[in-house]
Amino acid sequence: MAAPSAAGMGRRLRAWLPRIMPVRWSRYNPSYLEPEVKKESYQKPLEEQTEEEREQMELKAVRPIKAAPPTLSSSVFSDPMISKFTNMMMKSGNKVLARSLMSQTLEAIKRKQLEKYHKAPENEKETIECNPYVIFHQALKNCQPIIGLSNITKGGKTYQVPVPLTDNRKRFLAMKWLITECRENKHRRTLMPEKLSQELLLAFNNEGPVIKRKHVLHKMAEANRAYAHFRWW
Amino acid sequence: MAAPAYPTWVTRWVSGQWRNKKRPPTLRPSRTLALADKVASRREQSTEATCITEMSVMMACWKQNDFNDAACAEEIRMFYDCVARTEKERKNQNEDTMSSRGSLPSSKVNKLLKRFPQMTRYV
Repeated sequence: MAAPSAAGMGRRLRAWLPRIMPVRWSRYNPSYLEPEVKKESYQKPLEEQTEEEREQMELKAVRPIKAAPPTLSSSVFSDPMISKFTNMMMKSGNKVLARSLMSQTLEAIKRKQLEKYHKAPENEKETIECNPYVIFHQALKNCQPIIGLSNITKGGKTYQVPVPLTDNRKRFLAMKWLITECRENKHRRTLMPEKLSQELLLAFNNEGPVIKRKHVLHKMAEANRAYAHFRWW
Repeated sequence: MAAPAYPTWVTRWVSGQWRNKKRPPTLRPSRTLALADKVASRREQSTEATCITEMSVMMACWKQNDFNDAACAEEIRMFYDCVARTEKERKNQNEDTMSSRGSLPSSKVNKLLKRFPQMTRYV
């Protein structure tokens, strides 16, 4: 009596599995852990690891791990901001082209800065920044708006209300402004690396059209500061 | 003898329908007289906007220094701190059930009532 009922129970309890198992997607069972990509965390000897790290390592032996997305890299040259920017520049999935444009931009920045460096007198040589990654990060930081405007409808009329922005939104707006500025407001025949390197160097020095756009946004927010009470969060 | 054909009102009068025994119902409820498993949605009292003082201080500083971010770094930092603080408070508050104004919001009441519905049948 027990054997046939046990077999029936097993067949009923097994979860339905699709014929094709999806591998690299974003919806996982909550028991799946994030992949650890940094080499340093695996080369640490056991004594140096703290309690949490030891527990994490033990958990990794029993729990399944999510598939690493293709954008995640363990190389020392990979930078998440640069990857994000490359993805935003990409058109129709042409990552090869976007990546080559990005590397050409960084090279162009380096060349321009080196030219300036060699032409500068001795006492000014230290002030010139030659690392294109530093210039990129600082330019993005200078372009990020501090406060944004959002449309709030009250009593039938829509008002532009000053609103604080999240970090992700600020980064996105800075990158978007840079890319649209380069794509639309430049001469048709200039290449993207040249335009981008020029814009990034201007933003690094707090000049240029992107910084101006940020200031325009700030001015509008300041003009509409009376409507700040329409916010409810 | 054949049954005498009285008018209808006589039959009805004789049967006692017009006395208290059978009257048309005084109450005709369109819905069943039982508590429903949900509460009418109330307009949630809007909370006030946060970080207004920090924002106005920052804007005053901007006006003075011609929107130069480097000159107003302190005010900007205070604004960011206020925003982060309110974000954390809002996240912590969401786990609590009691709102600051005393009664539960109608959505939470509905969720509780759905978990413990009214008994419709005798079990």
